[in-house]
Amino acid sequence: MQDQPIQHTPKNKRKITAALIWKVLGGLLLLIIVSCSITIDSVVQPASITAGSTLPVTLNVTITTNQTQTSNFMVAVLVPKVWKVAQNGTVTFTSDISSGDQGMSVISAGTPAPQGGGMDWPTLLATKIGNGGNLLPDYEWVAFYSNASYSVAANATIHATVSIKIKTSADNLMFKLGYCVANSTDGLSSSDRYATAFPGCFQSVGTGDLIDFCNPQISTVDPRTSLDNDIITVTFDGGVQSTKLDNASQIYLCVSGITDKGDSLSACIQTDATKMTSLGLNKWQKDIWPRKLFNLTDNQHLTGLKYFFTDAAGGNKVGYAGGSTPFMYTFKCQ
Amino acid sequence: MKLEAFTNTIKKKNMIVSKTIIFLLLALVFVACKPEMLVTPSESTKNLSGNWQIIKATRNGTDLTTRFDFSKFRIHFTDSSYTIDSLVPFIVNHSGRWSFDDPQYPFTLTFQATDSSAKTSPLQYPVTGGQRNVIITFSPGCSLNTYQYTLQKAN
Repeated sequence: MQDQPIQHTPKNKRKITAALIWKVLGGLLLLIIVSCSITIDSVVQPASITAGSTLPVTLNVTITTNQTQTSNFMVAVLVPKVWKVAQNGTVTFTSDISSGDQGMSVISAGTPAPQGGGMDWPTLLATKIGNGGNLLPDYEWVAFYSNASYSVAANATIHATVSIKIKTSADNLMFKLGYCVANSTDGLSSSDRYATAFPGCFQSVGTGDLIDFCNPQISTVDPRTSLDNDIITVTFDGGVQSTKLDNASQIYLCVSGITDKGDSLSACIQTDATKMTSLGLNKWQKDIWPRKLFNLTDNQHLTGLKYFFTDAAGGNKVGYAGGSTPFMYTFKCQ
Repeated sequence: MKLEAFTNTIKKKNMIVSKTIIFLLLALVFVACKPEMLVTPSESTKNLSGNWQIIKATRNGTDLTTRFDFSKFRIHFTDSSYTIDSLVPFIVNHSGRWSFDDPQYPFTLTFQATDSSAKTSPLQYPVTGGQRNVIITFSPGCSLNTYQYTLQKAN
C-alpha cells in the first residue's frame, strides 16, 4: 500500500487559519486572565501560644490587576469551632491604595458568595478549599469583608498587610490554621482570583485533654463535647499505627468511669455491651450511653472516662498512642 | 248558548287546574327553601394515647437508629400522663405528666417528670405511610448535642 500524499485544499487552509486565530486569541485571553492575580506572599504566625491569649497573625498579600474593578476585600480563616472566631476575631488591613487601618466585618452565614453557586462563604470555602488537613470535624471557615469597597486601576500592583487577632479559648489543642484572600466580585471563581496559605500545625497550649486536629488519632470520641447522658461514639483506628490488636478479629472497649465523687467504676468485661463494630480497614466503633453502661443512679455523675481497647480474651490491651496508659475523655460542654 | 256554557265550564276547569298547579309549586318552593344549617368543620384534638416506640433516632444529624439499641424503649401515653419502659437518652428520665401547647394545633410537647422541672420539645406530627408519627427534638446532655427521635405507635 502506497502512502497517499495529503492534499491541501483551500478549505483545509481556511480551517488551519481559523484554528491559528483561535489559538492566538485563546493565548491572549489566558494571558489576560493570568495577569490578574492575588497571592499571599508570607504568613507571620507564632508556632504556639498560651491558650486563652490572643493569637496575632499577619498576612502579606500582593494583588495584580489587569482591569479596573471595584470590590470589597475578603479574608477568611480556618479555625477550630471552639474559638468562636465570629465573635472573638478581628481583622484589619493596610494597603497602598488606602490610608490607615481598614476595618473588616464577619460575613454573616447564609450570605451567598459571588459566583459561588448559591453557597455562602463558609460553605464555598469548605467545599472548594477544604479542611487544610485537619482530621477532626470541629473546624470552620470564618470569612470577613472589608467595610469599604475599593476601586483598583488596571495593570496595578497593590500590596496589603492583613492583621488578624483571635482571642483563643482555654482548650489545649493542635490545629492546622488556614487563610484565604479574595474579593467580592470574583469570589473563588478561578484559582488565580484567590490565594490560600496553610502554615502547618499550630498549638494552643492549655490544660486538659489535648484536642489534636493535626495527627491521625488511634481513637476519637464523638461528640467531642458531651455529658454522661449523651450517646457517645468511641472509635478505634488500627490503621494509624501497629498495635497488639493488629490481628484481633474482635475488639472490645475496656472503660472506667470517674464520678464527681472521685470513684472509679469499671466496665472492662468482654460482653456485647463493650463489643465494638467493625467498619472495615481495621476501624472499629462503639456507641455507648455512659449512664446505662455504668448503671448510674440519679445522684451519680461522671466527670470523665479512661479507656483501653482489648481483644476478645482481654489479654492484649491498647491505650494512648498504642501504649499502656489509658485514653482520657472529659465530660464537658462548650 | 249551550256552546257558551260548555266553554265556560272548560275555562273554570282550566282555572282550577292552574290554581292547583300554582299552589303545589308554591308549596314546593316553601318546602325547598328550608334554611340550611352551616357547620364549620373543627380540627380534632390530637391524641397520643397508647404505646409508642422509637423508629428513627439521630444525634447531631447522624443516624443512630441501627447503631444503638432503641428497640426496647416504650413510652405509654394516657390522657395526661406517661410512663417510660427501658429508658434511653430522652428528654426526661422519669414518668410524669404531659401536655400539648394547643391540643388541636400542637407545636410543642411538654413533659413534666415527677420531681423534675418541665421539659418542652418542638413537635412534628406527620402521617407517613399511613402511620401517625411524633417527632421530638431535645438535648439530654450538652445543649449543643441535638437528638431527634421519631416515635410511632407500637403494635
